Amino acid sequence: MIIFAFAFGSPSSLGTGTAPHEIAVINLDQGATVSTNNTTQHVNDGSAFTQLLENVTYAQTDTHMFTLNNVSADQAQTMLKSRDLAAVITIPEDFSQAVAALTNASARAETTSDIGLRVINGSTAQLPVNTTPPKQSNVTAQVIVEGDTASSAFGAAQGLIFNVLEQYQGQIQASAIRQVDATLAQNQSQSNASIDYISAVVQPLTGTRSLTLFDYQAPGLIVFALLMQVSNVAQDLTRESDAGTLDRFKLSNMRSFDLLFGTLLTWILIAVAQILLLLGVAVALGFSWAGGANSIALSVLVGIIGGIASISLGLLLAAFTTNERQAAQLGILIAVPVSFLSGAFFPLPNEILGTAFGTTFQVYDVLPWTLVADALRQVLLYGSGLGAVAVYVGVAIVLTAILFVVGVISYSQVRLRPE
Amino acid sequence: MSLTVKSHSADAYALEAQGLTKRYGDLVAVDDLSLQIKKGEIFGFLGPNGAGKSTSINMMIGLLRPTAGAVLINGQDRAHAPKRSIGICPQELVLWDELTCAENLTVMGDMYDLPRELTNERVRSLLADLALSEKAKTRVSQLSGGMKRRLNVALAVIHNPDIIVLDEPSAGLDPQSRLLLWDFIRSLKSKEGKTIILTTHAMEEADTLSDRIAIIDHGKLLQFDTPGNLKKTIGSGDIIEMQVADREKNEAVMADLKSVNGILEINDAGGKINIRALNAVSLLPEIIERVDATRTRVSDISIRENTLEDVFIYLTGRGLRE
Repeated sequence: MIIFAFAFGSPSSLGTGTAPHEIAVINLDQGATVSTNNTTQHVNDGSAFTQLLENVTYAQTDTHMFTLNNVSADQAQTMLKSRDLAAVITIPEDFSQAVAALTNASARAETTSDIGLRVINGSTAQLPVNTTPPKQSNVTAQVIVEGDTASSAFGAAQGLIFNVLEQYQGQIQASAIRQVDATLAQNQSQSNASIDYISAVVQPLTGTRSLTLFDYQAPGLIVFALLMQVSNVAQDLTRESDAGTLDRFKLSNMRSFDLLFGTLLTWILIAVAQILLLLGVAVALGFSWAGGANSIALSVLVGIIGGIASISLGLLLAAFTTNERQAAQLGILIAVPVSFLSGAFFPLPNEILGTAFGTTFQVYDVLPWTLVADALRQVLLYGSGLGAVAVYVGVAIVLTAILFVVGVISYSQVRLRPE
Repeated sequence: MSLTVKSHSADAYALEAQGLTKRYGDLVAVDDLSLQIKKGEIFGFLGPNGAGKSTSINMMIGLLRPTAGAVLINGQDRAHAPKRSIGICPQELVLWDELTCAENLTVMGDMYDLPRELTNERVRSLLADLALSEKAKTRVSQLSGGMKRRLNVALAVIHNPDIIVLDEPSAGLDPQSRLLLWDFIRSLKSKEGKTIILTTHAMEEADTLSDRIAIIDHGKLLQFDTPGNLKKTIGSGDIIEMQVADREKNEAVMADLKSVNGILEINDAGGKINIRALNAVSLLPEIIERVDATRTRVSDISIRENTLEDVFIYLTGRGLRE
């Protein structure tokens, strides 16, 4: 129940309902030089818009709409692919210029509208000095909102971002008009800029145009199958112990290495078969597999790491369980929560542990299966190569090696030595 | 630095237990057990359930670490003795059900690093000796209980060990299989000079096969001698087994017979009165006379020699141990 609540009901999970949405903003805005009241200053409206996104709250609540992740463009892409982010907003380099253009256009429209009104109404009131309408430029900017269009989290976040951007433009226009009206002693707003200076566009994450929830879950199911090996390995080894065959081995010339390597080899082969079988079934059921033979080879390699991690955990369990049934139950009791915590089925809330090798690591990444699941998604869904998942694979290998050493030492000490 | 203990009696003894003790908390499962098992002998290891036999055996073969004491194999500390010097046939059937008989034996041959040719030769020979040749390619799951039991024994000796531990090897065997197994055990000793440690609850088996017998109870060694000497020195005399017509008079009969000269022990064995006495034949008329005097009569009476079972019961008592 706790696990399901965590997976489905956590208020921090990627932003659903009125929870903050995990987003990243890549601000490429170069800024613009604007003149106000005879003073010239350099402004960066991209930063102002970013600040707005950070501060904006849901109506009548203190809950922020967005949680901004301070990451690089590459990191944002990786996090987007692993659904650690709901959306990535890219503010273009000419954003400030477009804001300035919008401001000028609004002011110009308001000024000309005011002059026209005076003429039509036959007003004799003298126009103030400096009523020359500001020069109009046609600079426009397009804010890119990128995300996995198959993700409901992106759908919700994207709607809010568009809305905030629209309001932002509205505020700029209103501010320009107020300024003009104050100067011309005109109280009534009459006009709007006719050009869409700042627009937003959705850019689907590469390869996600037709992705479904199943596409996200299929690599996770492979990880889940690998995790079930924990129970199988523990059962298998405990059975040897229960049946007395382990005692026969212990009395023979067999070394611990022989038994453990034999176990490892057997279960690795089973892991490879599982990966290929599940991938085949997933593709048959409509999984959007990207990449060719290379992606299969790479996913098998990545899967083997997950398999070895499961075997290692199985060894650890077999060291301390007293019978086959206990091993099976305990194995499932551990494997199922770990599968949730590794994000096999559902995206996990952002709990950033730190950044290393240019990659942001979540707390869950201390589990090698989390890294394996992320790497499998990148390889199978987005067709990424070894270079793209090298950090995931490297860290997963290190974590698996640690787990393997702990498992082997525990099993050898407890089961393969005289009691 | 490792210390290798070399016994002076390395040539005489295949296995020596020196003050073996195993404690589980307050429970002393084996208490200062010392034994010397000669090379080439069949050593019977007897004791009631829970007496400490299995614990002792497991310490001797290296599956259990003693709390105190040492085990020497051919005069060498057990930890340094070659693993292939011991073969174990556990009481439970420890087999791979999905493998054939030959495959089971081959697996264990491989585990002892036997050359494949030698393994194949040993497999053929053992299957023939234990009447399993026709079942060489049959899966263990399809064997009868007796066949499995024989294969269990074969697995203990596939690597041609010097010392063979047989834990209840004939449990559940039919008479034919048991005789076949006894012949095999005897041949291991007589033809191959193996040392055999035999634990059994079948007193006839221990009496028939063993050169020497140790009886332990509550973790302590009670007696250790040849079967003949045990029968002579423990519970000497013969056994008169008697039934009276009126069993309700058993108590009265037994009370009266206690005063007869020459009767060493008398007890009720499930309605039958067992009398152990020296020169039992000469006592029969007086016993019958005394029974008549208690207003009942002898309905059945026989005399037999003292058996190993009598010795066993004498030493370990009649109380159930399960």
